[in-house]
Amino acid sequence: MIFTIFKKELRDTLRDRRTVMMMIVIPTLVFPLIMSVFMSVSERFQKEAAEKKVKIGIVSNQVGSLEADLLKVPDALGKKEFVPFTDTLALIQAIRSDSVQVGIFIPDNAEQLKEVMKPISVTVFHDGTNLGMKERANAYLSFIQENWKKQRYSELKIDEAKVTPLILSYSNVASSKEMIGKLAGGFLPYLFIAFGFMGCMFPAIDLFTGEKERSTIETLLTTPVPRWKILFGKMGVVVLSGLLAATFNLLGIFLSIEVLNIVKDPVILKAIRDILSPAFIVMLYALLCPLIIFFAGIMIPIAVRAKSFKEAQSIISPLNIVIILPAMVGFFPGIELNEVTALIPVVNIVLATKELIAGTLEWHLVAMAFGVMVLLAVIAILLSYRKFENENNVIS
Amino acid sequence: MIQVSDLSKSFSLTRQQKKELGTMQNSVLAVDDVSFKCMPGRVHALLGPNGAGKTTTLRMLSTIFKPSKGAILINNVDAVTHPQEARKHIGFLTGSAGLYARLTPNELIGYFGELYSVSKNDIELRKKRLYDLLDMHDFQNKRIGKLSTGMKQKVSICRTMIHDPQVVIFDEPTSGLDVITAENIIQLIRDCKNQGKTVIFSSHIMGEVDLLCDDITIIHKGKVLYNDTMEAFRAQQQAPNLTAEFIRIVHDQKPEEA
Repeated sequence: MIFTIFKKELRDTLRDRRTVMMMIVIPTLVFPLIMSVFMSVSERFQKEAAEKKVKIGIVSNQVGSLEADLLKVPDALGKKEFVPFTDTLALIQAIRSDSVQVGIFIPDNAEQLKEVMKPISVTVFHDGTNLGMKERANAYLSFIQENWKKQRYSELKIDEAKVTPLILSYSNVASSKEMIGKLAGGFLPYLFIAFGFMGCMFPAIDLFTGEKERSTIETLLTTPVPRWKILFGKMGVVVLSGLLAATFNLLGIFLSIEVLNIVKDPVILKAIRDILSPAFIVMLYALLCPLIIFFAGIMIPIAVRAKSFKEAQSIISPLNIVIILPAMVGFFPGIELNEVTALIPVVNIVLATKELIAGTLEWHLVAMAFGVMVLLAVIAILLSYRKFENENNVIS
Repeated sequence: MIQVSDLSKSFSLTRQQKKELGTMQNSVLAVDDVSFKCMPGRVHALLGPNGAGKTTTLRMLSTIFKPSKGAILINNVDAVTHPQEARKHIGFLTGSAGLYARLTPNELIGYFGELYSVSKNDIELRKKRLYDLLDMHDFQNKRIGKLSTGMKQKVSICRTMIHDPQVVIFDEPTSGLDVITAENIIQLIRDCKNQGKTVIFSSHIMGEVDLLCDDITIIHKGKVLYNDTMEAFRAQQQAPNLTAEFIRIVHDQKPEEA
């Protein structure tokens, strides 16, 4: 009987345009759309930033070698145009009004200091909200610094190697997969959880509050089917809808990579392909299942009690935020799955998925996270059962 | 057969409901010690003004609500202790009940047939018979949401009868229907009676009651005011017509002595 109800409710749900949009269309399209927009915007910004001619204000009362060398900085470090200023106040005002983007103050005695090989205090003025400008000035000045150092070593007849006690080199031992997992791995579980929740929402409201509102529940309750079987049949469809939404989201990612070729970097591409292995997908579903049942189990009692679709929606929609906020924890680097975070619902699944993506899973912590979610899912089912058994809730 | 003894139903009130009703009471008694009997091959009318407790009584008979007190026997099955068993004997049709708009009549009737554990063969045979009877072949595969009120009512009838119930409960079945559509229901009630089924229906339309019923129970404010055969009702009639007599009894508000 559970399967009979499940079959009917699934058919009914799949014929609801609104549910199909939330369950299939949006989850499939959202990743390719976000990625396409993100990639094209970031490419455009990078290109613009590289081509942008930055106006650099210079406060200097002389035309010394620093000013001359600044003019000689190659355009490979970014195109530039120098604008002379007589005082720093005018320079600051110009930076604030964006007529120049960055300013360099060169002291009057710069040339004398250079001659006696003393350091020159150069001040860079920049607007912190104008991103990249400080770095641009820094790149120019570092270029000059390196050249001048070399000149001084040569004039002083010093072997550069002798004044460089340490030569640092960095070797990243993390694989690309781990890097993506730890730095961007929070994004995937966030999407799965958000869409899993939204996928459950409309079927939960439609199959419980909707039946009440349309007065179809009465006839169903007069059939010789125990209420728990009716509940399980309906709940099965709510859970499946959540899982389908997450699945279509995964499909969207697959389409973005394999069909639309949105990710062009071969290293990242290989890492993503490694991540999306069958073993990863099986593990992901194992983690998502109790979470989605938990979602269904908290939505159903609300939907059962609500008197109208609008009322149910107005209560369940804000819940979305309660779910999404902890899911965002995955975005923060440094927060990892441990004995404490494994006990926090939603957060534990996000972090476990992140570890799964990075391939740095600790099984006892995953087991803890899974156990907590299974326990909560069981509690949520029992709560749904209690609410659905109550005749005052079911009949309006 | 339906036998109802000392049936009561009270609903607990939420804070909001107490405020709306302007009461300090924690519960409200919707049905108070109601007893009557409906026999096979007879049509029993449950009459009362709005809010009398008709729907609550019928919902208890159809096992949607559990009584607070009292007993219900449906074809000798205790509907309070064995509701699932009792439901197998019951067909329930209400005027207000909706249908699944996104399903077709074929799908809906097949679904309810399965819920009542009717075999696939029997579902097909009964469907064909009911479609012939109600002239439903033309729209059996159209979405219910696209059907007219009359067509939907036919689908409801079909859904109610697919498991061939011995007890049929109608809750204001003709409410809000046009004359032609209401006639389908009236015909169904007659057919049920002729087939020896036990029929109970609630209404506040005396014309329907006069036309169809063999027995009558009038309830008001949850209590039985009158319970006898239609013949006895007509015989004791003091008002010029049945509607006036019904109003007179309700206005007198003297609950029948047990």
